[in-house]
Amino acid sequence: MRTQDFYRELECVFDIPAGSITGTEKLVDLGTWDSIMAISFIAMADSKLNAEVAANKLAACRTVADLVALLPGKVTT
Amino acid sequence: MKAFIKAIEYYLPDAYLDNERLAREVPGWTAEKIEAKTGIACRRLAAPGECSSDLAVAAAQKLFVSGACRPTDIDYLLLCTQSPDYFLPTTACLVQDRLGLPTTCGALDFNLGCSGFVYGLSLAKALIETGQARNVLLLTAETYSKFIHPGDRSVRALFGDGAAATIVSSIESDADYIGPFVFGTDGSGANNLIVPTGGARRAHDPSSPVTEDSDGNQRTENNLYMNGPEIFAFTLRVIPQTTSRLLECAGLKIEEVDHWVLHQANRYMLEHLRKKLRVPPEHFPILMADCGNTVSSTIPIALCDLLAQGRLSRGQRLALVGFGVGYSWAGGMVRWA
Repeated sequence: MRTQDFYRELECVFDIPAGSITGTEKLVDLGTWDSIMAISFIAMADSKLNAEVAANKLAACRTVADLVALLPGKVTT
Repeated sequence: MKAFIKAIEYYLPDAYLDNERLAREVPGWTAEKIEAKTGIACRRLAAPGECSSDLAVAAAQKLFVSGACRPTDIDYLLLCTQSPDYFLPTTACLVQDRLGLPTTCGALDFNLGCSGFVYGLSLAKALIETGQARNVLLLTAETYSKFIHPGDRSVRALFGDGAAATIVSSIESDADYIGPFVFGTDGSGANNLIVPTGGARRAHDPSSPVTEDSDGNQRTENNLYMNGPEIFAFTLRVIPQTTSRLLECAGLKIEEVDHWVLHQANRYMLEHLRKKLRVPPEHFPILMADCGNTVSSTIPIALCDLLAQGRLSRGQRLALVGFGVGYSWAGGMVRWA
């Protein structure tokens, strides 16, 4: 998936307007980042990227860039 | 001689927690949002002093009143619970006496959570088809609410108390009505769904302080803790493999199963799994709105509700899949008799 498309999917997870994410944001600045959001992200990665996300590594993510780094080979420029 | 499911009943306690009350307690939540995410409108709660044995006895009595069988017919009692009345004696022994089952009846507890009903069916089939029993009463009963801190909305929104009673009996037949089964266990996930104290490793600690996690949920070490993202990730990892193994063992294709009855954990998880498994919604019941996640009783409750709705008929093939605390999981085929 291209990076821009990943950002659009992430905007759906956060339920924020398209174009809100540019890649430099902290997750807490995008909205509530709690366990329900983490589950939504794991579901998105599974259904859209066929990617398995380690929940413990996800819990350590603080930025959009951290999320991209969590999905090696799945998000490309 | 083959084992088959003869009848199922369930019992839910009177007290309840509905979404309106939950929403009043949590800023930013609405009753509609909670139901949309969880698929649950209401959870039932055991009263103070109302224990798993009480729920199990009530469920079994409904079976006997229905005429499905008599207490004297039962020659083996299997009781699945993680919230027993006592460490000892065995809850199944208390239930044997209260139900008036014969003293020649075998009885045992087994400690499993959401996989418990499928394991219980496997044990009942083994008892019957090896000639050790003719009528097995399989009870599943939980009062998880007694483990839950009132400040932990993550688990309060999901779990409800309840019990189910299933009669597994014997029938002359060449074809199987129960099975095959597949199983799975991964104890490395134990800490992701746990009541840390209360057992021999760590005694119940009345002085355990209330802590608040990053989501704002409160609990002590005496309460149920669930790491939702870890449990969800585990489910995505394990359930597709389990359903494939089950279909392979049964020699069936996915579309040859009439009802995929998975552990009714929550609607969000079930809908995701349904789409992942590519099962149409009409073959994938979600029936937990009025009781919540009742742990080992969710599958028999869903079967009972399917039957009450006229959606279950003789000869239909069901795939039952339980998964959760442990981690423990199991899948089993059932042909409705």
